[in-house]
Amino acid sequence: MRLFSTLLIGLSSGAIYSLMALALVLVWRSTRVVNFAQAGQAIASTYIGYLVISRTDNYWLALPVALVAGALIGALVDVALIRTLNKRVKSGPAAEMAPVIVTLGLLGLIRSTVGMIWGGDLKAYKAPVTNHGFTFGTTTIPFSPYNLLIVITAVIVMAVFSIIFQKTNLGLSLRAAAFQPEIARLAGVRVDLVRTIGWAFAGGAGAVAGVLVTPSNSLSPNSLDLLLVLGFVGAVIGGLESLLGAAIGGVVLGIGLAFILEYVSTSLAFPSAFIVLILVLLIKPSGILGKKGGRGA
Amino acid sequence: MHKSRSIRLLVFIVIALAAFFLSNVVDELRVFQGASLSVYIVAIASIVLLTGYSGQISLGHGALMAIGGYSAVLAHNHWKVSIPISFAIAIVSTAFFGSILGWAAARLKGPYLAGTTLALAVGLPSLANQFSVLGGEQGLAFDVGAPPKSLGSDFTQYKWYFWICALAALIIVWITQNILTSRYGRQWRAMRSAPISASLSGIHIGRSKVLAFTISSGIAGLAGAMLVMTLNLVTPSAFPLSLSFAIVTGAVLAGVTNLGGGVIGALVLVAIPDIADLLAGKMGGAEKISANLPGFITSLILIVTVLLLPNGPKLSKLVSHKTK
Repeated sequence: MRLFSTLLIGLSSGAIYSLMALALVLVWRSTRVVNFAQAGQAIASTYIGYLVISRTDNYWLALPVALVAGALIGALVDVALIRTLNKRVKSGPAAEMAPVIVTLGLLGLIRSTVGMIWGGDLKAYKAPVTNHGFTFGTTTIPFSPYNLLIVITAVIVMAVFSIIFQKTNLGLSLRAAAFQPEIARLAGVRVDLVRTIGWAFAGGAGAVAGVLVTPSNSLSPNSLDLLLVLGFVGAVIGGLESLLGAAIGGVVLGIGLAFILEYVSTSLAFPSAFIVLILVLLIKPSGILGKKGGRGA
Repeated sequence: MHKSRSIRLLVFIVIALAAFFLSNVVDELRVFQGASLSVYIVAIASIVLLTGYSGQISLGHGALMAIGGYSAVLAHNHWKVSIPISFAIAIVSTAFFGSILGWAAARLKGPYLAGTTLALAVGLPSLANQFSVLGGEQGLAFDVGAPPKSLGSDFTQYKWYFWICALAALIIVWITQNILTSRYGRQWRAMRSAPISASLSGIHIGRSKVLAFTISSGIAGLAGAMLVMTLNLVTPSAFPLSLSFAIVTGAVLAGVTNLGGGVIGALVLVAIPDIADLLAGKMGGAEKISANLPGFITSLILIVTVLLLPNGPKLSKLVSHKTK
């Protein structure tokens, strides 16, 4: 029973890591940028969701509002910042470093803006369903209806993404723009627009991750930093190139960390994630699903 | 070469004398800011060496500063060693940690290295909460003692901090400048701008990168020890993510390849809280504004600098050297 419930808890937190990993992979594939500002975009969207919840007390309204807000912020970041950056910094030693530094600066900018609007104190909102674990007979397991809701929501988001990517023209353009931008442009794909759509999808996924994770923690301008790091680890496990890999990588990480928390020590969660990150990068840098040479920037 | 070296020594002595006289005429706050300035200069020097020369990026130097800070305090409190010894222990232990990290880092490219070091900056300081020997959230007190009696009775504690920090910063910048103009500095520059030609001409790329990471970590460790001395204590919250951001900003401001420019970067970082206070006062002075405005300004400067001067004035010269 303990084994089973640890697995379920890991699945639930892993679902959230997967969403964050997905957001990072979407941007990486379309723009070759690891978007460190994703944590900032997600926190801004989560605060907007919080605003909706505190006004209307309706979680089910807040989630889509945050998703749309996240998508808009993502698109805005691409249009306003990343396009400018790509135009201005084309070559030279800074070209490789500039995107990293710009997204890092953006993370700081969004965090402090959020702090100026909502203050630094911890906010919280309740989950729409109970956070108390399911009870079987006399035993109560840590896995709660809310954890189940997290898993279902994440699965729905990912299912929608995979349908868009595999079955629609937009998805085809997105994939084409990511892999062969020049040829895609020749074939009539509006690469810039498609990239911005990729950023919007990523922003939406990050926003959902933020809204889902907050009832289990609390909300503050930097409460999603750790999620960013774990999402990055999940994305790297999955190879950074593959959407499916990101989903699997996040879940693998979530389950792995849940077992370490349950059976080894609560203080080892972060060091283990860090060691996993380094080991994956050293031993199999292309990730569990990546092809050879996937690491090249 | 020798001539320019002796001129440089002269410049250092003049700066040291100027700092000494300044510390006697300005008020306490400025003296304390002088100490912070020295901390930033040392921290930025570690980034300039690592990023500007060896071409490796690190967003986790705040975490390395934490290692230095904790090492210095633990050594000072447990073994009762003097300040210089505890600083030396901070350098050595952080360099040791950095050599392990650098071994992994040498195998990682741009965004991967950035993500890994970011993970370190987010996670490592909070790890201190979980070990009672590190004092948890409250941290550990670090008392370096009052200034020696021989300096006079009106010699304040802050001035004592400033003297220690300024001296340490001058020595470190002097040493770093010499490393950067030495064989190793040239190797790093070659490796950074043309890795394949560099390895063809006999430079061991991996070893060279690890060496850069080790030295840079040691310098960051010293900055951490200096920082906790000025704060009188070491806590996990002394090394927030924004500290790592700030020192990267300071280095980027000057185009990351210039130690002298790093001093300007450090000046900007020290001035930002003052400017933010002034602005926050005009904007009504609410706590949430004044607490977040410094971070806002730092981030804004970082973005604008990269967009407007991506390679910095110095860096472009370096590149044209290479292509000629």
